[in-house]
Amino acid sequence: MRVATVGSYLLLVRQGGVWGVSNETVLGVGRQENEYHIQILCQAGSRQIVADEVLGVVESLKVWPPAGVLQRFWSGFPRGLAVHGGSPILVVDPDRPPATLMLEETMEEDSLQEGEASDGRAN
Amino acid sequence: MADVTSGEKTSGGKGGRPHLLVRSGEYLCALPLSSVRRVVRALAVRPLPGSAEELKGLAEFAGEPLPVVDLARLVGAPQGANPEYPVTVVAWAGPEGARELIGLAADSALEVVQLPPQSVVAGEGGVIFGEANVDGEPVRVLNLEALGAET
Repeated sequence: MRVATVGSYLLLVRQGGVWGVSNETVLGVGRQENEYHIQILCQAGSRQIVADEVLGVVESLKVWPPAGVLQRFWSGFPRGLAVHGGSPILVVDPDRPPATLMLEETMEEDSLQEGEASDGRAN
Repeated sequence: MADVTSGEKTSGGKGGRPHLLVRSGEYLCALPLSSVRRVVRALAVRPLPGSAEELKGLAEFAGEPLPVVDLARLVGAPQGANPEYPVTVVAWAGPEGARELIGLAADSALEVVQLPPQSVVAGEGGVIFGEANVDGEPVRVLNLEALGAET
């Protein structure tokens, strides 16, 4: 039998799906043109994820462990599943967010920083 | 819609295990009735970007999240005509001891039939356990225990 845990989550919409991020990991939310950039804590420090909409914070969301079928047919690493307002939610692992939520600029910036670091070492 | 146990008939001999016949694309599929929890009108499904085509998305059922699998894609059935009253079969999937509820999106739920073991021609294993014949039409007999996380 699946056992649900309860916590506070920020709910986002991206590409038609509803995603939950533990509110404890959220450092900030900013709007840029037609999307939202959310800064979250992760083991590596912090990273930005992107959303089309921010629905708000749910204080006591029940989260069930991810289903095996989900792990079979989805390449991401969900932390769990939940329901709010009749809508199913995929709860994101901040250390392994799905590609759908990844901000391309973040990856570009990372690449740039790595490149600069490499240049620095070369000199 | 939820009552799926009436009007049973037997195919290819006496006895056997009851199965729910569902139409999915151009295939008829038989689901072990012991795996079926409920048949409901097609649940609203939220897409899950990046998922395999077999996974239709996520839905809500009885207050809990439910992954919904596209049955036609799961069994490789050619798409049929647009169904008039599509259904979601809420069923137990996965091996004994690690069962979980999933939704199977199908075109329609038809009837319950008894499938004696000798009437099922075993296949290569996996989700499609084998094939049987019901009223002259081939039926894919499914084994939902094989549907779960791949190891």
